[in-house]
Parts: sequence; structure tokens; C-alpha cells
Amino acid sequence: MNPWLAAAAVLLAGVVPCGWLCVRGTRMDALVALELTTTLVTLTLLLLAEGFQRSSYFVLALGAAALGFVGNLVFVHFVEREL
Amino acid sequence: MGTRGLVVDVLIALGVTGEVVCVVGLLAGRTAIDRLHYAAAATTLPPAFVAAAVVVEEGGSSAAINAIVVAVLVLTLGSALTHATARVAHGRGEGR
Repeated sequence: MNPWLAAAAVLLAGVVPCGWLCVRGTRMDALVALELTTTLVTLTLLLLAEGFQRSSYFVLALGAAALGFVGNLVFVHFVEREL
Repeated sequence: MGTRGLVVDVLIALGVTGEVVCVVGLLAGRTAIDRLHYAAAATTLPPAFVAAAVVVEEGGSSAAINAIVVAVLVLTLGSALTHATARVAHGRGEGR
């Protein structure tokens, strides 16, 4: 295992506490946890692409960065409408 | 391990440590606004460290450019998302 894959494993482990907060916290806490999860997953995909030495995999990180933002904005919108 | 390998390892370690600190802060925060500070911090320096590690490893290849674009996207879109979330949290009376 190279350092890239080890780092990806550590970041992926960080998703677990975020998931726990999504389940157990308030809606706002869950929203914030989801945002951090998106960042973690995007960086994990970046590290995996480099770890596997496949330049085509970097597209996944790009997609996660862009689509994660849109997805989170949708959740922000729904939580705001709930006010 | 050469100097370049050492620099790459240090940059990766900095990026991962930054993200781990943000996850711990997310769990330790009392209100959603407190937690949002850590979620926002996770979009700033750690992605830049990881992108810098890829740039040092790959040089000027397409992988390095992709990594830089990802870091910039995470930084810019993350700050916009943080602003929108903070606005909603403030409207819900969080953090008061």
C-alpha cells in the first residue's frame, strides 16, 4: 500500500463519524456533516486516482466536487423551505 | 526515499491531518454553526496540500492540473455552500 492509498483509507474512515452525526444529530447538524462528507469523498477520490496511477480517475474527483456542491445546495434549499 | 518523496509524504500527511482535525471538530462542536466552522475549514488548506502533493509527484501533467482544478473547485464552491448553510442556520436560530 502506497501513501496515497493509506491517506485515502484514513479519509474514508472519517466518513463514519460524519454518518453517525447525520443519523443522530439535528437536521442542521446532518446538513453540515453531509458537507464535510462531500469534501472527504472528493479528496479520497483524488488520492485514489493518484494511488492507482490512473489519470482518467481524476474525472471522478472533478465530478464529485461539482455535483456534491449542487446536491448540498438542494438539501440547503429544502431545509430553508422547512422554516 | 528522495527529497521529492519526502515532500510528497509531508504534504499528504498535512492534508490528511487537517481533515481529521476537522472531523474531530465536527463531532466536538456544540451547535451547527460551531460545526460549520470545521466543515468550512476542511475545504481550504487540506485540499490545497493534497493538490500540492499531486503536483510535486506528477509535475506538469494532466493529473496535476486536474488536482489543482479540484482543489480550486472545492475551495470556491465550498465557501459559497458554507455561506448558504450559515444563512439557513441563522434563520433557524442555531448558535444563539
